[in-house]
Amino acid sequence: MDTLYTERCLGCHGLSGRGDGPIAAGLPVPTPDFRETVQRKSTSRIRRIIAEGQGIMPAYHPALRPPEISDMVQMVRFLSREGRDISWWEKYDTLVVAHCSVPWEVALGFDEPSEEKKP
Amino acid sequence: MSLSAILIFCVANAGLLFAATVHFEHQKLERREVHIPIQDFSLTDQSNQIFKFQSFKGKLLLVDFAYTTCPDVCPLMTVAMRSVQDELKAAERNLVHLIMVTTDPEVDSPAVLASFAKRYRVDLSNWSFLTGAESSLAKVWKNFGVGVKRKARGLVDHTPLTAIIDQKGVMRFAYYGTAPDPKMVLRDMRTLVSQR
Repeated sequence: MDTLYTERCLGCHGLSGRGDGPIAAGLPVPTPDFRETVQRKSTSRIRRIIAEGQGIMPAYHPALRPPEISDMVQMVRFLSREGRDISWWEKYDTLVVAHCSVPWEVALGFDEPSEEKKP
Repeated sequence: MSLSAILIFCVANAGLLFAATVHFEHQKLERREVHIPIQDFSLTDQSNQIFKFQSFKGKLLLVDFAYTTCPDVCPLMTVAMRSVQDELKAAERNLVHLIMVTTDPEVDSPAVLASFAKRYRVDLSNWSFLTGAESSLAKVWKNFGVGVKRKARGLVDHTPLTAIIDQKGVMRFAYYGTAPDPKMVLRDMRTLVSQR
C-alpha cells in the first residue's frame, strides 16, 4: 500500500500528505493538505476523487483496480492524522498483519467501528 | 491505553525502521535546436476521430508526450502546454495546433483522454489528445525519439519531450525534462512563424 502511495501520490502530496511533494511547487494550484481536507470528506467522496480525478489530479480509474483504489483511500485517511507519514504505515502494517487479528481500520483509529446490534 | 498507543509502543521497542526512499529525479530542462523530419502518422483523438498528421502541415505544432495517470513530470508538461495555449494571440490560434501523444495506450482511451482534457480545462479547438494501437504509437514514439517503458498498469517511464514541429513537418525545437518555460516556447514558435 505504501508502495502504491509512493509511486502514484507522493510526487504531489508528499511523504506525510501535506501537499509538499517534490513536484507540488511547480503546479499552478496548491496541493491540498490531507490534515485539512480529508477528515471532513466521506470515504465515498475520497474514493471518487481518486478514481475520477479532480482538477489536474489524475483519475486512477481505470488504471488501478478497485482494491488498489481502496488501498489509496486507506492511506489517505491514515496520513490525514497529525504527525504521520508513510514510514509509519510500514510499522503499523507489519504489526497489524503479523500480530493482531484486529481490523486495521479500528487499530488505526480512523474509521469508527460499527455499533453492535442489540439482540 | 488505546490500541493505537499500544501499537506505537510495540513498534518503538521492536525498532522497526522504515525509510521511504523516494527519488524524484527531475531532469534539468534541455532545449535543443534540431532538424528531424516527422513521418506521417494517423492516430485517434479524444473524440474518437482519426487524426492525420499530414492534415496539419502548414500549421506549427507543439507536441508533448505524456500520459494521464503520470504522477511526475506530465502534469507539469501539460500545465506548460496549457499556458502556451492561453498566451496565444487570437491571430496565432489558427496557425498553431497543440498535440499530446499518450505514452500509455493501455489506459489512455479516447474517453480517458477527453476526461483528462476536461479536467485541465483546455480549449479543444486547437489541441488534440492522441492515442491508438501500441504498434502505431511505437512508430510515432520512435520517430520523435521518445523512449517508453511500462513499469506497471498506469505507470510508465518515458522521455519527457515537448517539441515544436514547423509548418513543413520538421521538428525544430526539442525540450527535454520538466516542463519548458511557456515564454521560451512561445518565443521559439514566433521565430518559426516569422521565418515562414
